[in-house]
Amino acid sequence: MHKKDDFNLINRFKDGDASAFDEIISKYQDKLYNLCRHMLGNAHDAEDAAQDVFLKAYQNLNKFKPDSSLYTWLYRIAINTCIDYRRKPFFESLFKTSKEGDVFAVDQLSDSPSPERLYESKLISNAIQLALGRLSEKLRTVIVLKEIEGLSYEEMAEVLDVSIGTVKSRISRAREELKKLLKKFREQK
Amino acid sequence: MRCLKRKLVSPYIDCELSVEEKDLFESHIHECRECAGELKELQKIHELFAGAETFKAPHGFSTRVLSNIREKETRRFEGFVHILARSVEGFAVLVLIFVGIILGSFLSKTLVSEKGNVVASLSLDIFAPAPPDSVGGVYLAMTGVKNEK
Repeated sequence: MHKKDDFNLINRFKDGDASAFDEIISKYQDKLYNLCRHMLGNAHDAEDAAQDVFLKAYQNLNKFKPDSSLYTWLYRIAINTCIDYRRKPFFESLFKTSKEGDVFAVDQLSDSPSPERLYESKLISNAIQLALGRLSEKLRTVIVLKEIEGLSYEEMAEVLDVSIGTVKSRISRAREELKKLLKKFREQK
Repeated sequence: MRCLKRKLVSPYIDCELSVEEKDLFESHIHECRECAGELKELQKIHELFAGAETFKAPHGFSTRVLSNIREKETRRFEGFVHILARSVEGFAVLVLIFVGIILGSFLSKTLVSEKGNVVASLSLDIFAPAPPDSVGGVYLAMTGVKNEK
């Protein structure tokens, strides 16, 4: 992600160029939606959360300080928004319209897979989603940032505002947890 | 007892070890079955995630974001205007009260003489003199107030 391009976009936005924010959305919408999707586990909440992320970014971009990069800043907003969404009151979850079935929409796969590949991918995604859902917020966050978004430990530390040592220990703990969970799923089959 | 090098398995998978640490760990896993086993297990999880779906933002997402932003901004502006209108109303009321107080104090100053006695319309001079044989006349004669017009 080109830091220089991002700073140009931010400067254009600060100078009143509204199209700069359109470009920011186009650039980061897939990444942030994917992050929210894996953090929240369903399409409905993921879209709402991703929309909120851009709204918060729009309202606070003028206060953005160039000592961090735009994407780590956006990821931080996204993580906090997803955590807030998961803490939504119980009664709100009763009115959810999405079902688990529409979670893995065929038309949103990254490539055009064969039916076998699709089936396999669905199974993997189901297993991943189930396992992620059982992890604590902190552990789920580091796993999504590492395994789904491919961030380095340093970038994760910046997003989460913790030390690299904390990131290392959380990743190890998350993988240990996942190992146990996936073993349990295999035993249940 | 657990091998102390086990904590290096995750950073090894994530390519977060220095070249030196990586070489040391690679030679270690040839000797340590525990770490080799752990590496195999965690690599499986890592590979599992590599096969995970990548979700793209739904069609029309950016349009919805922009209209959502516009709507919120309009609502925010309307809220600001509403607050501004309320503030102006409140300020006008305060000004009226202030003006009332000032006028009141100004008028009361003109109605009270320098010695503190009530003058003009509030003075007893507006009344017709009390007849000397009336109760009022007797009272005025006793208190020594002049009963003249």
